[in-house]
Amino acid sequence: MLYEYGHIGILVLIALIFPIGALATSWALQFVNIRPTSKPDVVRDDIYECGLRTEGPSRVQFNFRFYYIALLFVLLDVEIVFLFPWALVFDDVGWVGYGKGMLFIGTFVIGGVYAWRKRALEWRL
Amino acid sequence: MNSLDVVGPQLAVLVAAGLVLLLDSLVPQQRRLLPVVALLGLIVSALWTTSWVGRGDYQFLFDGTLALDKYSVFFYYVFAGITATVVLASIDWVNREGRGQGEYYALVLTVCSGLMFLAASRDLITIFLALELSSIPQYILAGWGKDSKSSEAGLKYLLLGAIASSLLLYGMALIYGITGTTLLPEIAAAIKADGETYRGLLIVATILLIAGFGFKMAVVPFQMWVPDVYQGAPTPVAAFLSVGSKAAAFAVVIRIFFEGLDADFLSDDWSMIFAVLAAASMTLGNVMAIVQTDIKRMLGYSSVAQAGNFMIGLAAISVAGNEFTLGASAILLFVAAYAFTNLGAFVGVIAISQRIGSDQIKDYAGMWKRSPVLALAVAFCLISLTGIPPTVGFWAKLYIFNAGIRADLVWLVLIGVLNSVVAGYYYLSVARQMFMGDAEEDKKFRASPSITMALGAATIGVIVFGIIPMPLMSAAQDAAEIFAR
Repeated sequence: MLYEYGHIGILVLIALIFPIGALATSWALQFVNIRPTSKPDVVRDDIYECGLRTEGPSRVQFNFRFYYIALLFVLLDVEIVFLFPWALVFDDVGWVGYGKGMLFIGTFVIGGVYAWRKRALEWRL
Repeated sequence: MNSLDVVGPQLAVLVAAGLVLLLDSLVPQQRRLLPVVALLGLIVSALWTTSWVGRGDYQFLFDGTLALDKYSVFFYYVFAGITATVVLASIDWVNREGRGQGEYYALVLTVCSGLMFLAASRDLITIFLALELSSIPQYILAGWGKDSKSSEAGLKYLLLGAIASSLLLYGMALIYGITGTTLLPEIAAAIKADGETYRGLLIVATILLIAGFGFKMAVVPFQMWVPDVYQGAPTPVAAFLSVGSKAAAFAVVIRIFFEGLDADFLSDDWSMIFAVLAAASMTLGNVMAIVQTDIKRMLGYSSVAQAGNFMIGLAAISVAGNEFTLGASAILLFVAAYAFTNLGAFVGVIAISQRIGSDQIKDYAGMWKRSPVLALAVAFCLISLTGIPPTVGFWAKLYIFNAGIRADLVWLVLIGVLNSVVAGYYYLSVARQMFMGDAEEDKKFRASPSITMALGAATIGVIVFGIIPMPLMSAAQDAAEIFAR
C-alpha cells in the first residue's frame, strides 16, 4: 500500500523541478548579457487584462452585494446539479421520491425566502 | 429501520434552525418566539432520542458511517441539554444586542446538530464533515459581539481552527494511506492484521490526530487560544465552546482511539502521549488560572485543567479485560458532570456580569448580600469544579482517578490530586470574595427568568447527581459498553 505512494514521489520531484528550474534560469541569466532592461515604461507597467487596454487601477472597491448574488447563484447552481439525477429517475422513484425531491427543494426555498426577506436581492437598501 | 430515523435528532435540530430563520425573516415583530422555537426543536430532538432507549439493538446506517448505539444516544442527550441551557442563557444578551437574532439561534442549533453528528460518526470523512459543521458556526458565534475583542476572538479561533483542521486531515490521510479505508472498524482490523510494519507512521498519524483534536479539547500545548477566545467571545458562546465542543471532541477521540486505533502495540504509545498531555494540561491550566483577575479568563484556564482531568481516562486504556471500558465510562461521567458544572458557572457569570457590568473577580465581592441565591448557585458550581462532595464533580473526579489507578498510572493520579488542591485555591477564592468580601454597593438584584431557569437546571443537576450519582454512572457505563472487547 505504502509503496504506491512512490508515484506521488515522482510527481513531487517534477513539482520541485519547475520552481528550481525557473529560479536557476533567472540566476544563470545574470551572467549572460541579455538581461531584460529594468527601465519602466507605460506598456510594461500596464495591467495585463486579456490584451485590452485597462482603464483605471486594478484595485477598486466593488459593491459587496455582488457577494450576495454570487452566493445565491452557487446555491441555485448546486440545487440544479442535484436535481438532474432526480429528474432522470423521476418515473421510477414514485411518490416517495417526489416527496423527497420536494423536501430538498423546500430546504432551498427556506434559504430563498430568508434571502428575499433580508433584502439580499435588492440592489439598493 | 429507516436511515432517516438514525439522524432524527439532528434533523429535528436543523429543522428548528430553518424555522427560526423563517420566523425571523417573515414575522420580525414576533422575535421573542425565536428561542421558544429553538427550545422546542431541542425537546423534539431529545424525545426522538428517547424513542430509541430500551431498544438495545445497534444500528449502523449510511454504509456504516453513522452509528445508532447507546454511546451516541448518551451524547445526544448531553448536547441537547447543553444547547438548551445555552439558548436559555443567551436570551437576554441577544435581546440586548438586537441585530441578527434569528441567525444567532440558527447558528447555535447548527452547532448542536454538528456535535450530534460528531458523536455518532464512525468514519473519518464523516467525522471531519461533522467537525466542520460544528466548527464553522462556532467561529462566527465567537466573533458575534460588536467590540474588537470579540472580533479578535473570532479571527483567532478561525485561524487556529483552520490549522488544527489541516493537521487532523493530514493524520486522517496517513491512516487512510496505511489501512486503505476510512471506516473505524475496518481501520482497526487492518491495523491489527499488518499494521505493525507501519508502526512509526501510525504513531505520526496518531500524533497528528491528537494535535487536531487537542485544539478542540483545549489541552496543552494546543491551549493558547482558550483564554483570549473565552474572554472576547460573548459569554453564552464561551460557555458553549467550553462545554459543547470539548465534549464532542472527547466523544469522537474516544471513538477513534478505542474503536479504530486500539491495537495493543499502538495503544501503549498513545496512552503514554495522553498521560503526558494530561499532566501538562492539569498543571499549566491550574497554575495559569491562579493569577487571572478576569473570571472568564480564569474559567478558560480552568477548562484547560479540566481537559487534563478528562484525559486521564484516555490514558487509562492499558487496562485489560473487562475493565477495558473503565477509562471511557469515566470520561463520559466526567463529560456529563462537567456539562452541568461548567454551564452553571458560566450562566452564573452571565447573570452577575450583566448586572455589575464587569468580569473582574474583585467586583464579585459581597455578591452574597446582593443576590444570595445566585451566589449560592455559583458557589456550588465552583465547589463541583474543585471536586468536593456533595457535588457531581466529586464523583466524576473519583471515578476518573479510580480508572487511572487501575491502569497503573499512580503518578498521573498523584499529579491530578495535587492539582485539585491548587484548583481549590482559585475556585474557592472566588467563592470567598462573594461571601466574605465587602460590596461597594448593596443594591439587591435578581437574575432574569430565563437565566434563573438555566442556572437552576444546572445547579440542581450538580447537587442531585452529587447526592445520587448512580443514574448518571450507570448511563455512562452503559454507553461505554460498546467498546468492550
